[in-house]
Amino acid sequence: MDTVKLYLKSMKMLLRSQMQYPASFIMQTIAQIVMEGGEMMAVLLIIDRFDTLHQWTGGNLLFFFGMMSVTFYLTECFGRGVTGAFPSLVRSGHLDTFLLRPRGVLTQVLCHAIDPRRIGCIGVGVISLILGSRQSAVIWTAGKALLFLESILFGSMLILGLFLIEAIFCIHSVKSIEVVNALTYGGRSACQYPIDIYPRPLRILFTAVAPFALVLHVPSAFILDKPIYSLPGFAAFLCPAAGAAFFLLMYGLFRKAMTYYRSTGS
Amino acid sequence: MKAYLAIFRMRLKMETQYRGAVIGGVFCQMFFGLILVALYRALYAGRPQALPLSSVITYVWLQQAFFRMVLSSDGDLADKIRTGAIAYDLCRPLNLYGYYYLRAMAMKLMGSLLRAIPMLVLAILLPDGWGIAAPQSLPHLLAGLFGLLLGLLCVCALENITMAITMRTLDSRGMQAMLNLLMMILSGNILPLTLFPDSWQKVITLLPYAQLLDAPIRLYTGEWALSQFPRVLCIQGAWIVFLVALGLYFWRQNQKRIVLQGG
Repeated sequence: MDTVKLYLKSMKMLLRSQMQYPASFIMQTIAQIVMEGGEMMAVLLIIDRFDTLHQWTGGNLLFFFGMMSVTFYLTECFGRGVTGAFPSLVRSGHLDTFLLRPRGVLTQVLCHAIDPRRIGCIGVGVISLILGSRQSAVIWTAGKALLFLESILFGSMLILGLFLIEAIFCIHSVKSIEVVNALTYGGRSACQYPIDIYPRPLRILFTAVAPFALVLHVPSAFILDKPIYSLPGFAAFLCPAAGAAFFLLMYGLFRKAMTYYRSTGS
Repeated sequence: MKAYLAIFRMRLKMETQYRGAVIGGVFCQMFFGLILVALYRALYAGRPQALPLSSVITYVWLQQAFFRMVLSSDGDLADKIRTGAIAYDLCRPLNLYGYYYLRAMAMKLMGSLLRAIPMLVLAILLPDGWGIAAPQSLPHLLAGLFGLLLGLLCVCALENITMAITMRTLDSRGMQAMLNLLMMILSGNILPLTLFPDSWQKVITLLPYAQLLDAPIRLYTGEWALSQFPRVLCIQGAWIVFLVALGLYFWRQNQKRIVLQGG
């Protein structure tokens, strides 16, 4: 509980410091909106030209797109310490100070940074979700709403876990190796669209290795009443747990990597 | 002139230094290319379009291969402006515009060639329906290559204008992100311009962003016949003249009222 309080306090402080330059903040937030809006426009243009994609209607596609952008950018907003700041923490030796304090390293890394500009991207994602659910005539029930939240929560854990891979590499090599992010960003691009349109190797990659399909697509398909992988209804509630499992696995590896951590000394 | 050539050569050499980054870049770009090709294959399944699938796939591969040309890659100058180190550049007996124009050109040219050649070889080796298609004919290939060269001149001029704006605003991240995004969308990187609504295409293919990769790719795939080649050249040439003139004007104005950051 204490940790939560600490986290909230850091967030408040970070937010205040970010707001010291309001003009720059607004400009960058608008840039983010335009950026994610551009991605959404690509989806809209594809719908305009092709109408449907296999069994999915345009509204369905917007819903999938919204799920991915809300989940991904929520992670980038609150997980900034892992997704963006970590390599420079290692390079500058700043991480050393974290080792001395009576809190977990990952907690402190998460408390270290926040990226409120992402609110722009999240907003675009929310609009896409609303449009998508309207156009697909989704009938919301309490169960579906619960599943929706579960999917976003576990999806964020999955994405945070994927970014931890970069952090683990970074601990060993100091330099950040961007290639390891191919899976993360590739997953984001690919899984903006439902998994079942892809050929088998990509399906396996994003189901078994980086389980975007289990965490985001299975629940979304259930909400849209078009189950994929011919799974029974209750499976939609179980599958997202794969995100938590992935995160725990990466967290374990991260802790192990930290035992090899050697300060850069600068 | 010799000084400018030396700058160009130096930058070319610098780009070849980071071989690890090149291999990583090729790997990422191939992976993204495959995902996009898979997506377009799925979209085309059972709903034929006027535009053949093979030409969309070729479009995707050429876009991925020359990705490096699209994004502005020179972070140095932005740093120099922020820290005030640009004062050293102002002391050089060179035209600053020419200096940065050639720097950008060398980086884009070498950076993208180093990535494009292995990528295109890999894309040719991919199985039928996944890989890049051969050009319509040899003249089409040559026309495309020539168009690419002019497109490069065009994009360097554009980038220099962005930099001139950076000089005025100091913290340019928001601005730069937006201009980069405009570039990504309107050059056909996010979605091939050939898939935009037909009525939009009439306008966006005239914009400078489309001159970089879109026009050369259309010449390569034969979507534009060779008889269109002079028209493309005229559009590209006109943009180059206009953008260079505008950039030169901006840079000259900036140099008159430059404020150096101390520190």
